[in-house]
Amino acid sequence: MPLDDLFSLANRLALAGWAALVLALWGPRWLMLAGGLALPALLTCLYTGLVLGFFASAEGGFFSLDAVGRLLSGREMLLAGWLHFLAFDLFVGAWQVRTARRESVPRLLVVPCLALTFLLGPAGLLAFLALRAAIRATRTPGNAGIPA
Amino acid sequence: MSPLAQLRALPSAEPIFAAGGLFLLFLAAPLLAAAWLDPRSFNGINIWIKPLKFAVSMSLFLLTLVAIAPLLRPEFVRSRGYRIYAGVVLAAIGFEMAVIIGAAALGTASHFNVATPLAAALYTAMGILAVVLTSASAVYARALWHAGRGRTWPVLHDGLVLGLALVLPLTLVTAFTLGGNGGHWVGGTRGDAGGMPLFGWARDGGDLRVAHFFATHAMHFIPAAAIPAALLLGPARRWPAWFAAGGLVALVAFTYAQALQGRPFLA
Repeated sequence: MPLDDLFSLANRLALAGWAALVLALWGPRWLMLAGGLALPALLTCLYTGLVLGFFASAEGGFFSLDAVGRLLSGREMLLAGWLHFLAFDLFVGAWQVRTARRESVPRLLVVPCLALTFLLGPAGLLAFLALRAAIRATRTPGNAGIPA
Repeated sequence: MSPLAQLRALPSAEPIFAAGGLFLLFLAAPLLAAAWLDPRSFNGINIWIKPLKFAVSMSLFLLTLVAIAPLLRPEFVRSRGYRIYAGVVLAAIGFEMAVIIGAAALGTASHFNVATPLAAALYTAMGILAVVLTSASAVYARALWHAGRGRTWPVLHDGLVLGLALVLPLTLVTAFTLGGNGGHWVGGTRGDAGGMPLFGWARDGGDLRVAHFFATHAMHFIPAAAIPAALLLGPARRWPAWFAAGGLVALVAFTYAQALQGRPFLA
């Protein structure tokens, strides 16, 4: 499969995963399994396949910014890097949904965190961590805080 | 117990082999992805076929031992000495898989590679660890023998003991001949591209992997013959297991001699 087709396929898989995650805030368990386990696992398989096949012949390395630039200069490793984003962002999104459901974080407030994680991974994680900390701090015995 | 409940209870007799066997099956997924995405080939076939074959075979080996473990004495399986031994076997399999996958990623040979001191040392270590992991079949043969015939059909018990007991000696002979030969081909094309479907065995010359295959799968073929024998002739007649064991030894000897003479198994 040409790398461009694999790129489109991976993007579609990730989008399906994000849709499942948002619905999983309210929906049944299989949505969580699809968006939080099956689709991230599929993306990690594709990533691992690329790394097994192309990392050894790639230039560059991890220990200087230029080396990282050279590492991602080949199209295979560039696509692997993109799959890394897609897979890990989705998994972090799934963790947010699980945590929100377990700790009764208001679900409507989790949606923008998911959107931010989808677009700008770490910024979305930061938003969710801040939201969760704020809710925990204001929740006292006898006061359930913001209703879930 | 329902068959499904029995299946679910199976790993509890030998949990680390069960986990290892399942992990190797899961490992096939990224290896398949690599085979799909990576165009490199080795000996004329996709470079990831070999890691895939090893993952599946090692998984089958471990899961077969898991299926046999409930027939052993529970005191043996729980003993400290055996638990340590099982951990060593699993570690040996992990090491073999790591070298085979690493070599494929680097685009080089894992077996028969003596190009650099490191590659030669790894190849030697793989040989030693292959003996360590294969010894599990002999350990199971002995333990099953000691456990007695009371836990399953007598003919299946004898088939399992014989099959397990034959794996190590037959594999040592065939695999070390392979190692000493510097490759699995005898005459014919040194490549897998024209090989038999699925197995990749040579069709225009001898291939020592054939005898290795039947030797290592003695633990499957002999019990597999014992099951229909139990159903057709009754479970108490034990001679079919011994008959099957004799047949398998003859088959290994035949395919071994055939390969050494440079003749293909099936043209």
